Amino acid sequence: MMHRRAASAGEWLDRTQELKFTFEGREYQGYAGDTISSALAAAGPKLLARSFKYHRARSILSFANHDSNTMFQVDGVPNVRGDVTLLRAGMRVAALNTFGGLAHDRARLLDRLAPFLPVGFYYKAFHSKRLFPRWERLFRRLTGLGAVSLMAERQATPKRYGFCDVLVIGAGPSGLAAALTAAESGAAVCLVDESLKIAGNGAPEALVRGAQSSAAITLCPATVAAGYYADHWVALASPTHLTKMRAKSVVFATGVIEQPAVFRNNDLPGVMLASGAARLLSRYGVAPGIRVVMIAANLEAYLTCIELSARGVAVAAIIELRPVPDGTAPVADCVARGMALVTGHAPYEAIRGSNGCVAGLKVAPFDANQKIDLGATRRFDCDAVLMSVGWAAATQLLLQAGGSTRFSEELQQFVPDSLPPGIFAAGRMNGVYDDARFADGRRAGAQAAAHAGFGTPGNASIARSSRTPSHPFPIVDHPKSKNFVDFDEDLQVKDLENAAQEGFDSSELLKRYSTVGMGPSQGKHSNMNALRILARVRGVGVAQLGLTTARPMYHPVPLKFLAGRSFYPERRTPIDAQHAALNAVWMPAGNWRRPEYYAVAGEDRAQSIDAEVHAVRSAVGLIDVGTLGKIEVYGPDAGQLLDRAYTGRFADLKVGMTRYGLMLDEAGVIIDDGVVARLGPESFYFTTTTGGSATVFRELLRLNALWGLNCALVNVTGHRAAFNFAGPLSRGILQKLTDIDLKEEAFPFLAVRSGNLAGAAVRLLRVGFVGELGYEIHVAAGRSVEVWQALIDAGASAGMRPFGVEAQRVLRLEKGHFIVGQDTDGLTDPLEANAMWAVAMKKPFFVGQRSVRILQARGPRQKLVGIELAEATPLPKECHLIIEQGAIAGRVTSVTRSRALNKSIGLAMLSPALAEIGRELEIRVDGGAMVRARVAAAPFYDPQNLRQKASLAA
Amino acid sequence: MSALTLQLQRRRERLGVKGPRAGEWLQLHGVVVPAAANSWTHTADISANDALLVARLGNSEFLLEEGTAGTMLKRITTSLGSQPPGVYPVLREDWAFQLEGAGVHDVLTQVCNVNFAALTLDAQPLVMTLMIGVSVLVIPLRPARDAGERAYRIWCDPTFGPYLGESLGAVVLECGGGYTGDAK
Repeated sequence: MMHRRAASAGEWLDRTQELKFTFEGREYQGYAGDTISSALAAAGPKLLARSFKYHRARSILSFANHDSNTMFQVDGVPNVRGDVTLLRAGMRVAALNTFGGLAHDRARLLDRLAPFLPVGFYYKAFHSKRLFPRWERLFRRLTGLGAVSLMAERQATPKRYGFCDVLVIGAGPSGLAAALTAAESGAAVCLVDESLKIAGNGAPEALVRGAQSSAAITLCPATVAAGYYADHWVALASPTHLTKMRAKSVVFATGVIEQPAVFRNNDLPGVMLASGAARLLSRYGVAPGIRVVMIAANLEAYLTCIELSARGVAVAAIIELRPVPDGTAPVADCVARGMALVTGHAPYEAIRGSNGCVAGLKVAPFDANQKIDLGATRRFDCDAVLMSVGWAAATQLLLQAGGSTRFSEELQQFVPDSLPPGIFAAGRMNGVYDDARFADGRRAGAQAAAHAGFGTPGNASIARSSRTPSHPFPIVDHPKSKNFVDFDEDLQVKDLENAAQEGFDSSELLKRYSTVGMGPSQGKHSNMNALRILARVRGVGVAQLGLTTARPMYHPVPLKFLAGRSFYPERRTPIDAQHAALNAVWMPAGNWRRPEYYAVAGEDRAQSIDAEVHAVRSAVGLIDVGTLGKIEVYGPDAGQLLDRAYTGRFADLKVGMTRYGLMLDEAGVIIDDGVVARLGPESFYFTTTTGGSATVFRELLRLNALWGLNCALVNVTGHRAAFNFAGPLSRGILQKLTDIDLKEEAFPFLAVRSGNLAGAAVRLLRVGFVGELGYEIHVAAGRSVEVWQALIDAGASAGMRPFGVEAQRVLRLEKGHFIVGQDTDGLTDPLEANAMWAVAMKKPFFVGQRSVRILQARGPRQKLVGIELAEATPLPKECHLIIEQGAIAGRVTSVTRSRALNKSIGLAMLSPALAEIGRELEIRVDGGAMVRARVAAAPFYDPQNLRQKASLAA
Repeated sequence: MSALTLQLQRRRERLGVKGPRAGEWLQLHGVVVPAAANSWTHTADISANDALLVARLGNSEFLLEEGTAGTMLKRITTSLGSQPPGVYPVLREDWAFQLEGAGVHDVLTQVCNVNFAALTLDAQPLVMTLMIGVSVLVIPLRPARDAGERAYRIWCDPTFGPYLGESLGAVVLECGGGYTGDAK
């Protein structure tokens, strides 16, 4: 059983500070510097977790921040990783995924139902549509890790960008050597390691101190390199936030991950990886047990045994899988210390004691063909079993970076094969073991620094290890199974064999069918053994199978780190504060904030919008249209640019006049519209839709560069404000504020004039989107407040109301004006939208002209038509479908109730065969009911357009 | 080292000029223009009330910014009224901010992926990039006598000004600084 030993030099604890905490409601004690896992290991509870599927009793396996069974619920926060989370006084720690607590978990019954839960059972059993909802609810209750509290306080974890010349991932011996070498070459180095401290993992103290004292090296302990992205951009996850590190070159010194031996009951509490036991002992003074048995297949096993023995831990036996161990001196040292060495044997079964933990290990002779001789088994009593049978290279990040690997039969691990520019590998991940890691790190550091422009790469070449640090098949069959390959997903050997035999016999298919490698450890303990099993089933070598595709994240990353801050860029017109003062109710319009309507005491929403519409129709209204795109074009070829880019004629537009502009793409599809005003012989000013300004500007820049015209474009969308002042009284009120002559003969419909209004320089465009006499007033943003206020003040006595987006939508719909992107879609052309009047087909060229000719010959596939409904009819919504003889014949694109017209009106895209005036239609609304409508002529209001062309009142 | 601050720079007039002959025309009118694209010059102490800053945005577009006591922009605006060929006015109503003080780079690494600390001041570089999702122009400035760390002038489209100020200001506050605006 694990227990705390006396203090030793170099441990990571401060034993003068005792910290009390609770686990599963019971109080325990640890020290400052302990992690949750080390404190629990020392404090005594035998069980730390229940496994995911069978709810088997579990404890520490790797102590390397990979185990799902050392994830805890801590103070209401789920999935806290106990191996690397520092203990705090008062912590309340609980196991995940239990029903009724860890000790009496009701779901442990599932272990007995294992025969009924084979690999892939959910694919086979729950295909009944009727029963599936019940199974789904059951699984959601039974599975999942941790409980999320919806009342939890939001934790801000702002992301940061980082920059360095050389990024070194891994601060073991080769990583430290690489970092120091790169720094000595003059590079700015960032050294990252997921351990809580940069301790070198067995490297000389001088190397660690060198890295700590170097001004050129930034140390990032407790930080995981979670993903590699293009151009050496690496996501670094620290305990508090994500850093997006951009490096000029990267050294992967990510090391190797110890792999478990696979035998019956290898998941019992007390069975763990030898490297984890060594870390627990050296850093936290926690011994794995009183009487330990080591399962060995490499030199590291013996070195660990010597370390345990030196700290007073009894190693009763070393079970050596190989017939002959390597490393003569350490082996002899172990024997001299009284450890029984049993060669050519494998663990057959871990024996469960009455306390639910390991109480012994049964072993049996193990030949070169992995055959067990059950006639010669032996039992060794113990309270801890350590496994040191091999390693898997941590190559996932290197693979994400575009590197490739090959399987080395000599080393029994994957090693880097080819690396893209700027990527370097070092140390055990590179197949270089023992003291040669330092030289390999220096080589990689020099090459990485040289790639970043510092120093020279040198020509060192370090040979890979000549010993085999990993057993080729540390997997022992057992008729009663429970020999676990994947501890996260409770997968046994037979699960993987069965999956392969069912046809899921590639590494990718095996992963997805069995879920091997899909738990929190992401295959770090299981992928290698799974590959070995698959290779045996298929009768091929591991090299022929290959690894599954490596993708970010390498290690689970809390969603809060990916979220970072919430930045939602929002645009506001310069009179935003004035809207707020008028009680604007806001709505998003793309990335703009716009008034939907203005709230007035005593009116509900519908009443306010109706009143705003009525004000425009009967007196005057004022709307902020500053979100419209506004572009200026200057130069001798300005008119020619517009002629080519738009469907209309602009080169011959008179100075002082405007014209509607329709823009198509090469396929003849409508992409934007606006109003073009000619200010001078070589200057135009035009508007675009709110959402189209950036796209149109970019496209015009591209076309201008392509055509090589002599003109320049200026995007003043944000730098100019714009208002629409419209209604029968608009002219009379406006004339009092401006020096521009507004009389009909001086300023006819569609004219543009420049002058002053309320002391500010303005451009007035007489246009008619809402169908009343009106003026668009364009002014520099910095003068907009005073102009707006002057209009508000001047219109107050005339019953003027500011009106918002909703009222404008009603007004323009009454006029039958379409909105690009609402009433048109990604395929609508001018024929379908009844906009051919704006298309000058006789021009020599405009973008989309050729396509329009083809479309004219083909005829429209749909038509945009007006529709009307009786007022009592339930109002359809935009995108409700028009149904004709059981088939879809069209859809509603815009719809509203019109008080002025005493009926509901709208626009719809309709099959041409139905697009005749008076044709009855059926529209399917929410719930499936059908409402009746009729095709109607548009404009609905003032069909002769008389109101916007002449004043009806002074 | 001075305290970290973000200040809205309202007491400046701005004007843009672009076109194939814009640089030549400005020089004829006594404006010193930067020789290299994406760089800037200034006439006097950058914080003086009449200082003129000239930024070259690409090859043929210029942003001019002057303190309210200056007279150059008024002269340029008047001269542009004659519509010289190949020279076009650009309305500039930008919002401008100055970010400076201890920890300025800590703020910038949270909002922008440009390595501002690596910029060399001697070249007087101008950076066009995105900051918190907003297109901005940024120039590094030499630190004032007592500042220690360099300062940054940041311009953005005025319709993004409130968002940029509030968002950048929130980051500055979290980093222990303050956000101020000077009234026009």
